[in-house]
Amino acid sequence: MKKILKDTCILAALMILSVFSISIIWSGITDEIGLVLKLFGLAFIIAVANFLFDEFVNLSIVVSYIIKYFAITGIVMLYGFIVGWFYPSNFWMAFIYVGVVLVLAYFIDSFIVKKDIKYINSKIADRSNEAK
Amino acid sequence: MEIITRQVKEKPLTVTIEYPEYNESVSTLVRKISSMDVNFSASIDERQVKIGLSEVYYIENVERKLFIYTIKEVYRLDSSMAEVEAMTADTDLVRISRTCIMNTNHLKEIRQLKNSRLEAVLDNDEMLIVSRKYLKDIKRFFQKGRV
Repeated sequence: MKKILKDTCILAALMILSVFSISIIWSGITDEIGLVLKLFGLAFIIAVANFLFDEFVNLSIVVSYIIKYFAITGIVMLYGFIVGWFYPSNFWMAFIYVGVVLVLAYFIDSFIVKKDIKYINSKIADRSNEAK
Repeated sequence: MEIITRQVKEKPLTVTIEYPEYNESVSTLVRKISSMDVNFSASIDERQVKIGLSEVYYIENVERKLFIYTIKEVYRLDSSMAEVEAMTADTDLVRISRTCIMNTNHLKEIRQLKNSRLEAVLDNDEMLIVSRKYLKDIKRFFQKGRV
């Protein structure tokens, strides 16, 4: 199921990119296409920041997510101001958008980590039993 | 599985694996046998020594210098992390953090500490910090199947 969901998201992203790339040839960059391209740009920047954070920083899961929350909110705000999504009156909404995504990500991450540890330890136990 | 051994004096040590179809068990067997040939040239007290893969507990990068940890000794390895990773790609060694490669044969347990950090406990009771990013790689290693 997880693989199907992952493949669905990748396929949807590829479809959007390829359809919009062809549309640009006929109708140029419309508002909708521009918005999607900006979202892809933001996703790329966040993915790079997330990769670098995970590669070089090893903190507890809670502290990691708190730091990521502020860092990503900062990126979203800055990006939002640059591309004209936010105005001084509604920039605080970035905290809510990022917060919702990160809370979900935190619970999924915690669940997956616990599941992975359980799986690895069960395999180690099997190996020990086989060796006896 | 049938194991046949025979002495052939003129040939070097040769292992032939016959299988009805290539599967995970065969793949793991090939990996295990191949890993027996992996040796590290390391140094200790200005002496050069060869260390077999099975002796390695973990390899750590400390201030851009690599060290091999065995059950008793620590050796200096004149190589880079990328070279070691390439050399041990199909072996029981797996990366557990940006600076550490662990031998899964000596892994006793992975546990999550109270602060949610992850720790690998080795069979000599030594503990290593595991980065959450590399937990997937450890899981993938165990998913590959074992003989």
